[in-house]
Amino acid sequence: MFPSSPVKNDFVLALKRVRLWYALLVVIFSIFLVRLFYLQVIRHDYYRQSALSDQLKQYQIPASRGIIDAHDGSNVVPLVLNQKLYTLYADPTYVKNASTVAAKVASIIGGDANKYQAELTVKDTRYSILAKKLTEAQNKQIVALKYPGLGTQEQDYRTYPQGSLAAQLLGFVNNDGLGTYGVEQALNRQLKGKPGELKAITDVNGVPLAASGNNIMTSPTQGDQVTLTIDLGIQKQVESILAAQVKSSKADGGSVVVMDTNSGAVKAMANYPTYDPSNYADVSNSSVFNNATVTTPIEVGSIMKTLTTAAALDQGVIQPNTTYNDPSHWTVDGFNITNIEQDGGPGVRSIADLLNLSLNTGATWELMQMGGGGPINQKGRDAWYNYMAKHFRLGQPTGIEQGYESPGIVPKPDDNGAGIDLTYANTAFGQAMTATPIQMASAISAVLNGGTYYQPHLVDQTTTADGKVTTTGTKILAKDVVAPKVGQAMVPLMQYVVQNHFIVPPFDQTHYIVGGKTGTAQIAKPGGGYRDDVYNGTYLGFVGGDKPQYTIAVFMDKPQVVAGAYAGTAAAQPVFAGIAHMLINNAYVTPKSQ
Amino acid sequence: MTYSNSLAMSRHQFASRNVSNVKFRSSKARTLGPVSNTVILIVLACLLGLLYLTQVTKTNAYGYKINNLQQQQQQLAAQHDDLEVASARLQSLDRVASSAPAKSLVAVAPSGSVTN
Repeated sequence: MFPSSPVKNDFVLALKRVRLWYALLVVIFSIFLVRLFYLQVIRHDYYRQSALSDQLKQYQIPASRGIIDAHDGSNVVPLVLNQKLYTLYADPTYVKNASTVAAKVASIIGGDANKYQAELTVKDTRYSILAKKLTEAQNKQIVALKYPGLGTQEQDYRTYPQGSLAAQLLGFVNNDGLGTYGVEQALNRQLKGKPGELKAITDVNGVPLAASGNNIMTSPTQGDQVTLTIDLGIQKQVESILAAQVKSSKADGGSVVVMDTNSGAVKAMANYPTYDPSNYADVSNSSVFNNATVTTPIEVGSIMKTLTTAAALDQGVIQPNTTYNDPSHWTVDGFNITNIEQDGGPGVRSIADLLNLSLNTGATWELMQMGGGGPINQKGRDAWYNYMAKHFRLGQPTGIEQGYESPGIVPKPDDNGAGIDLTYANTAFGQAMTATPIQMASAISAVLNGGTYYQPHLVDQTTTADGKVTTTGTKILAKDVVAPKVGQAMVPLMQYVVQNHFIVPPFDQTHYIVGGKTGTAQIAKPGGGYRDDVYNGTYLGFVGGDKPQYTIAVFMDKPQVVAGAYAGTAAAQPVFAGIAHMLINNAYVTPKSQ
Repeated sequence: MTYSNSLAMSRHQFASRNVSNVKFRSSKARTLGPVSNTVILIVLACLLGLLYLTQVTKTNAYGYKINNLQQQQQQLAAQHDDLEVASARLQSLDRVASSAPAKSLVAVAPSGSVTN
């Protein structure tokens, strides 16, 4: 036996070492493999999500809100547009040399440098707003300054090139992008469009990487462009006339509707006081946002007698040339219904007198005729309710494209044990019920045009982002509201009222027809009863040529009239007269053909 | 055995009478060994990887281009909106009413005073 050689021993040892390292390597690789398997297979979803949360960005691409425009003669001009403006802000902790920065900012955007300096040195805040609504040019100049701590932020704004024109009718868009009040609220869904979406892997700056196969992009659908039936020229002048009269009569406010009698298209809708919708946040009294022509029903007063007379004529219980003995007062449910002193006491009255002298007793008499001619009864109440609620569609919204439309109130005719006859006698001359100017204008239009109740509307046409134009057109809500002969009879009756009221200058009734009716309405106290110190003034009338062309409703809120004068005649009638003259003078009215 | 003899013998096994053995070619196809195959595959994979990377980089560069163009488009749209607003403001009724030509206009007689 040979002793083992040293060479062989070295070889065996080396082999062992190799095997040991090999085993170690296998173990290490196994550990790596296990760990990789754990990370890549078992925790696959977690790490995938984790990676995507950094790389995958999901943006909402805002849709541009639809613009709103209106007619100006044969042209269409914008009332509401969109504009990108900038908010200038500062992080005071980074601002150095605030006085220099403030002076430079003031030289670019104007304003008070001291005020800016105060904002730049505000403590305990990282976000101080210096100015809003900077233009693109101003933004570029500010950005070029590269002052630390100063930044701008882009923001979409609704812009109103016509200023406060038709403010309540239009409404505004609040900070959440929601249309509020007016057309903006009523048509919010159409106007806002549909935002698009971008889901993409991005680089560190948020720029989408085009090579990613999982990027998703949905383009936004821009909001519809809405063209209103409003005529800019009429709207502007109506607002001027109303504002002047509210100021001169020291009224709390006023509202006017000018409507196409034969289609329901609203040509002007004005309220005063008004506001600037581009600065709606500065308004302290939010009631000014209301378009009172649709949101604020009141007891309309004697303008209701036009509808009472039309209803009585349509039922055949009176004729246009009927006369009756007016006792100057009626006792109903123990209460006296009287007229104003100037009406001259008892006497034989015509239907024209009833309207011209605004006889409450006459309107009550008409209600009595609806019930058969005796005292007010269920039959008369039912018939009158049927006309108020069903024919003239009072007590329900008209459906006009406005936010917060109010239905108004029409009392039910059933005996409620609380003096329903007195209530109904009051409704015959416009008390104990409420309606808005748009409801009254629509109802009398239905009478004057021969019996068709057109839905009052503000939208003429809409245009989608892809150019599809939809004309809204007229919508008939009811036919045979009254017989055509009733409308024909009401025109001269209402003309008679205008001709027998003091209007300067008088109307040229040879070439045009102008008719109307005043209303002086009592104002209910919150606890019951009526105020005796102040009244609302109303007016309901028309102007036209061969036939009534425009219906005008005027409501004046608590005007201060001289002693002995009436709110309807002294405060509301001048607004009607001014508008009717304006429509004639500006050739909006087609004169009589013969 | 010398080298030349050995060479002659090895040629001889393929030789036959009256046939020139100068034109002899092996009928057996040449094949690459496993190492060569692996190397080639690795090189091909690298080339493919490189190609993929260049294409991805190129495509992503288009992404930046698209992004720039989109930003330009947005700026132009904003400018368009600004111009539209400026145009509408210049034609607004208030501005027209306060213009010099408008101020020189005279009021017409009210409709009630018109006689034909």
